[in-house]
Amino acid sequence: MKDLYLIYKNLTRKKLRLFLTCFAIFIAFLIFGAITALQGALNAGVEMSADNRLITANKINFTQPLPFAYVNKVKNIEGVKDVSYANWFGGFYQEPANQVVTMAVDPTTYFTVYDELVVPEAQLKQWQNNQRGVIVGERMAKTFNWKVGDTIPMSSNIFTNKDGTQTWQLQVDGIFTAKDEKTDTGYIVFHHKYFMETQTWGGDNVGWLMLTTTDSALNQQVSDAIDTNFANSAAETETSTEAAFNKAFIEQIGNIGLIIFGVVFMAFFTILVVVGNTMVLAIRERTNEIAVLKTLGFSSPRIFKMILIESCLLAFIGGLLGLGAAFVIVQGASEAMARFLPNLVLDQGIVLQALGYMLLLGLITGIVPAIRALRLNIVTGFQGA
Amino acid sequence: MSEDVLFDLVNVSKKFVKGKEQISIFDGLNMQINKGDFVAIMGPSGSGKTTLLNMLGGVDQPSSGEVSFDNQRIDNLSEGKLAKWRANNIGFIFQFYNLMPMLNAFRNVELPLLLTNMSSKERAQRVQNALKLVGLDDRAKHMPSEMSGGQQQRVAIARAVVSDPKLLLCDEPTGDLDRKTADEILETLQLLNKEFGKTIVMVTHDPSAAKYAKHTLHLDKGEFVLEAK
Amino acid sequence: MSLVSQSSAVIMMNVRSLPRRFWMSAAMVFASAVVVAILLAFLAMAKGFETTMQSAGSDDVAFFLRVSSAAELNSTVSNEQVNILTNAPGIASNENGPIISPELYVIVDGVKKSSQTKANIPLRGINQQGIALRENFKLTQGRMYSTGTNELIVGQGILDEFAGFELGDEIRSGKNVWTVVGVFTTGGNVFESELWADAKVIQSLYNRGSSYQSVRAKLTSPDQIEPIKAFVENDPRLNQDVQSEKSYFSEQSKGLSYMALFGRVISTIMALGALAGALNTMYTSVSDRAGEIATLRAIGFSHISAFIGTLTEALVLSVIGGILGSIAAFIFFDGLSAATLGGSFTQVVFQFQLTSDLFLQGATMALVIGFISGLFPAWRAARLPVVIAFQNGR
Repeated sequence: MKDLYLIYKNLTRKKLRLFLTCFAIFIAFLIFGAITALQGALNAGVEMSADNRLITANKINFTQPLPFAYVNKVKNIEGVKDVSYANWFGGFYQEPANQVVTMAVDPTTYFTVYDELVVPEAQLKQWQNNQRGVIVGERMAKTFNWKVGDTIPMSSNIFTNKDGTQTWQLQVDGIFTAKDEKTDTGYIVFHHKYFMETQTWGGDNVGWLMLTTTDSALNQQVSDAIDTNFANSAAETETSTEAAFNKAFIEQIGNIGLIIFGVVFMAFFTILVVVGNTMVLAIRERTNEIAVLKTLGFSSPRIFKMILIESCLLAFIGGLLGLGAAFVIVQGASEAMARFLPNLVLDQGIVLQALGYMLLLGLITGIVPAIRALRLNIVTGFQGA
Repeated sequence: MSEDVLFDLVNVSKKFVKGKEQISIFDGLNMQINKGDFVAIMGPSGSGKTTLLNMLGGVDQPSSGEVSFDNQRIDNLSEGKLAKWRANNIGFIFQFYNLMPMLNAFRNVELPLLLTNMSSKERAQRVQNALKLVGLDDRAKHMPSEMSGGQQQRVAIARAVVSDPKLLLCDEPTGDLDRKTADEILETLQLLNKEFGKTIVMVTHDPSAAKYAKHTLHLDKGEFVLEAK
Repeated sequence: MSLVSQSSAVIMMNVRSLPRRFWMSAAMVFASAVVVAILLAFLAMAKGFETTMQSAGSDDVAFFLRVSSAAELNSTVSNEQVNILTNAPGIASNENGPIISPELYVIVDGVKKSSQTKANIPLRGINQQGIALRENFKLTQGRMYSTGTNELIVGQGILDEFAGFELGDEIRSGKNVWTVVGVFTTGGNVFESELWADAKVIQSLYNRGSSYQSVRAKLTSPDQIEPIKAFVENDPRLNQDVQSEKSYFSEQSKGLSYMALFGRVISTIMALGALAGALNTMYTSVSDRAGEIATLRAIGFSHISAFIGTLTEALVLSVIGGILGSIAAFIFFDGLSAATLGGSFTQVVFQFQLTSDLFLQGATMALVIGFISGLFPAWRAARLPVVIAFQNGR
């Protein structure tokens, strides 16, 4: 491409302006990358939900328990494949600030229902046979440096152990990983039965049920059947798909999330508008030179192409640097905030989206001056000089 | 039509619409320029000198009439074809040099060659030759802003001749230069005409510049006023 | 000619030539406006949340939670423990005895008007003394619930943000049906995001036996908190932590303080991007006026006046932007009602608040952008060689 040198020289003719423009684009895509990753992390629960997984919770609110007997009753409903259950433990490690998402679950069914989680066979067996055992998520294991064989004191900010303390000594039997990077592994699970036997309130209940259907087409039918079954009982239920359940949970954050992301995206587009304006004006200053090129015999389409390539190049230089910086930041934050935002990743989707915006920025800012150049009458081009 | 005729203008008219008024610059202009000629076109401002030059260079088209170059009509060519035609046949020299400010002398001269299929090695050779011709082969790496007006105009001449066009069109080439530098530039043009057989059409309002040409045409209100040299 | 009149002449010239650079100048105004608006939006959000939480806590109310519970939802207090606490020192009394309020905190679902989605709402079980303890409590509609019935009163915030809590509405929560008989305010604080009902009724409907979750006690004076702490620590039957209600809520209000931090970080990064744009504008302005500046210098204007002229142009543009941004933020965000998940896992309804100190921060931001984006181009303007004035246009 013989014109590349010309394009390069046009691009770099004013170093300061090039730097400032690139920097602004850099900032825009830095913000875009980081914020979109953050948004993705918040929505990951919805995105990673299995199609055929349902959650049954107390109709009053999911913090209210359900009778243990519901487990077997749900199992007998047509279309239900596997049923598991869990209780919220409210865990923390050593001090209240170190919150650890901890659930008491059914060891025989939990990893069947959540089949995207991977536990080595031997570890799973060992755990199922050890009622004080705990299986920890990969991310939690990393955060607190737990290894198989460790005994970890897990405290609850809700429950009291029968020994009078609020702490349970649990033995790490295994570490679970996930097939997909975005699946949350930032929590730990231990035996539901052991939990029920050792906490002071006693009772025979479960926090909520997780179940899979034989076919996701049956989801609606199954959830209706479950809810009808328990209608007018002491604990009415509400069954929804895992995706809907997670979405509802995120939406509790409310319009705040909407406002924040709205505001930040506005910021992103503002920078693009400001930068685009500069780019358009920068090329407009060259009307006379474009007239000269045309006089020399450069065809209009060729000049059109040169200008578009130049503006796209500018958009991609700034944009890719910004996206790169966002990647580094997200990577760093992902480790620092593993416990709060387990799914912070700048994934392929975001990169593609950003590349799309870069191309758009390059095209839009280039198209106005490029069309002007295409239409430029040489005679008036010189007169305007 | 004679083989010697490079340009043939037949019954050319050019009209502008300015506001509600229609301004006629040429009305039924006839003109021939022979190959190897060096023609100076003189006349007061507004006489249509530059419009004529623009039509010759194919950057402006007549309202009616025919313009032929080397027995080929150019007044009805499309914009794209005209661009190609210009690249192959015409070298332009402007009053304000019109060099690309971000390119050095070498790269400026190379520009027209980017429109050909030459290899970069071939291009470099040609550019060096052209710069040598105008006596600036030691300034190849200099930027326009680092050169005097005369030097810049010589770079512009090198750019005009580098692709070896048949015709050079000069629009007030010395209008921005002092007498001594102007004479040097005009001598270079004369050399190109005599030694290299380039046909040159030069618009000027400077009588002493016109002296370098073989013929001088006086243009007044869109018509040639005959005046023997 | 004095520096002042010189400078003002230059400033006038710059301002008059602004239309020539309209789009560039507009871009700078726009950039400055958006940066200020975004900063204000985040600050107003954090401020609104903070005010809602902090105004709820008073420092003459002692607040008892079970050790390490952190929030009311997780805590328990037995009836026996409540009785012990009633005898603690320093608790104020009224005609109904010591002002001590054992309370229950149950989460129920409500449907948000804005999104039609379900969200957690706290249903507080309370008694007469609990209401007496909240001094800014006022019924604005209807009447008080009758003890021992399925009646409740709703906070103004709930009424505003959630559907189906109008006076007279029936609310189904599991098998239980509640009737809304009144609406209350507590001066805009977090209690307005709650439903209140008789504690005894909640105990029976939600299988809580005779236990409660938290205890509040009105103190005769704020410094009575220390004796109470000692009292609790010395009684082995008590496993409660005591703090002033105020300190509890200021801890809870930290929930959204990351929002302010986030907003500051984002708008600072944004401001950097906007600065780059603004610097471009000002450099263009200087090169656009290079001939004029040099001509003025040739006539005898000092280079300081060229400097001041350019700096002022930048400040004027960014301040115009700042004002527009503030107005936009005020129109769009001030008083904007929002609800989000608070520290107790329940919805807190609050209003964005744009106070004068926030506007001051926005103005500072605009001035900083204007100053920096003007300084360097002004420096260049001041050093433009006078000779440019004598050169040809090109």
